[in-house]
Amino acid sequence: MASQIRKIHQQLLDKEISCTGLIQEKLSLLKTNSNNTVNSLLEHVALELAAKVDTKIKNGEAIGLLEGIPFGIKDVFMLQGTTATASSNMLKNYKSAYTATAIQKLLDAGAIPIVKENCDSFGHGSSSENTIFGAVKNAINHNLVGGGSSGGSAVNVAKDYTVFSIGGDTGGSVRQPAGYNRVYGLKPTYGRISRYGLMAYASSTDCVGPIAKSVEDICILLNVMSGKDVKDQTTYASAEINDASLSNHSNIKTVGYFKNFIENEAIDPKIKTDFLTAIEKIKAQGIAIKALDFFNSDILVSTYYTLAMAETASNLSRLDGSNYGNRIDDKNLKESYAITRSENFSEETKRRIIGGNQVLSQGFSDEIYLKSLAIRDAISENFEKDFKEVDIILSPVTPITPPNIGESLKNPHAMYLSDAYTVGFSLGQLPTLTTPQGTETGLQITAAKNNDELVLKFANFLKNTL
Amino acid sequence: MSKIMTVDVLSSIKGAQPSEAVNKLFEVIKNAQPTNNNSFNINHNSSVSLNDLRDDVVIESSSLEKQLIMENFPKEKNGYLVVSKVIEE
Repeated sequence: MASQIRKIHQQLLDKEISCTGLIQEKLSLLKTNSNNTVNSLLEHVALELAAKVDTKIKNGEAIGLLEGIPFGIKDVFMLQGTTATASSNMLKNYKSAYTATAIQKLLDAGAIPIVKENCDSFGHGSSSENTIFGAVKNAINHNLVGGGSSGGSAVNVAKDYTVFSIGGDTGGSVRQPAGYNRVYGLKPTYGRISRYGLMAYASSTDCVGPIAKSVEDICILLNVMSGKDVKDQTTYASAEINDASLSNHSNIKTVGYFKNFIENEAIDPKIKTDFLTAIEKIKAQGIAIKALDFFNSDILVSTYYTLAMAETASNLSRLDGSNYGNRIDDKNLKESYAITRSENFSEETKRRIIGGNQVLSQGFSDEIYLKSLAIRDAISENFEKDFKEVDIILSPVTPITPPNIGESLKNPHAMYLSDAYTVGFSLGQLPTLTTPQGTETGLQITAAKNNDELVLKFANFLKNTL
Repeated sequence: MSKIMTVDVLSSIKGAQPSEAVNKLFEVIKNAQPTNNNSFNINHNSSVSLNDLRDDVVIESSSLEKQLIMENFPKEKNGYLVVSKVIEE
């Protein structure tokens, strides 16, 4: 699909549509939607901003490419003066005191936020069922999950309720729902986009990621949101990607894939066949293919979850109802903390906090937490070695197709294992894009650290190849 | 601290118990053979260079930000945050 942003921009310039009309149309679709994608609508502020854009156009003033474009925000981002619930009871009335850097950059470019979107509570889940707002329903089939944790965001883009949405990806939370709903979703290189104002889940892998319907739109959004930010000291300065350069893929000579992802009992047979067919089509275009060795899926999933749980146990320790949050008073401060946290966190969030405190405890930290850190380093070294031999690594997004609503909550261990193909790239902090092609849940394109441009180039190549 | 703290105390969650689903993940790590045990946090950290630290300055919050922070107080009296009775052990 061509750029939706450029198409709407042109329609606004040509006065085929008004910005107010566009925003009203999207708000109306969101209000009546039956996919459970909405936590709150930003109707008042959106219509106010739209009126300003219309006035500018009427007065013949120039407008920027993103000016007047409606977008959605996963409800784990801060947007000053609006609620940021993290789809949780704990923060159901919490109002953002400030605005996240990535969101502020979009606002500065003139994009209009219209909705805070449903997701797994604090990003804890792979299905968007762990939420107080009701399970997000898949854009293609209502009986299936929307994926997670940025499920509401991916469904909104797939259904054209938003032109693009901004999600958060810690272990696959942008890429997997993008695959489940057949849209593009990018996890950039860790540090390329500031995390300031994104509620912290696992700080060492948390990334801000755009979800959209075209590679070009992903590129536009990545350029706007990237950059060094003093409020997030893990950020780095990056060069703008020229979207005209995306059609040149001549520097992609070799594509690798992980043998053990494909030669695996857990993979859906159709996903396997479709993936291998895609590989053959790429080969037919004169690109060399290399099968690579990698860590077993259970090691990847266990390493990721051990570290993510340890980090989330620390990050969420501030949520005790003292300064903010849904406080429940008890006989003293300690009891108030305990009852507030026990009553307001979901079962999945509690499971992760408890797991995190287990591995950080004396006696467990050496054999589990520190060992996981060592495995993570070995995974990164493996990637460094691989990217000396290949330009791109291609993989399926998920081993399975989207489960029915209700299944993941019954079997959390199976849900963790369904993240097998996404978590490794998070641990490696690599740029990885879901493209809605190749298999039923798409393909993941990964390049070496800081090489987000190559990922987009290859996605553009696949668009014309598969 | 010599006192043994159980996971429910560490987590401030009443009746917290380790779960089977999570323990299965930890078992995999216990049995794993890392290829290089000495690489812990040496090559792949995201720490900031000492030359690149941000200035140590206090930035005043805007009045709107202050007002929103106060609006989020679970309990408020005369513009102040009210906390539960503090205990000492």
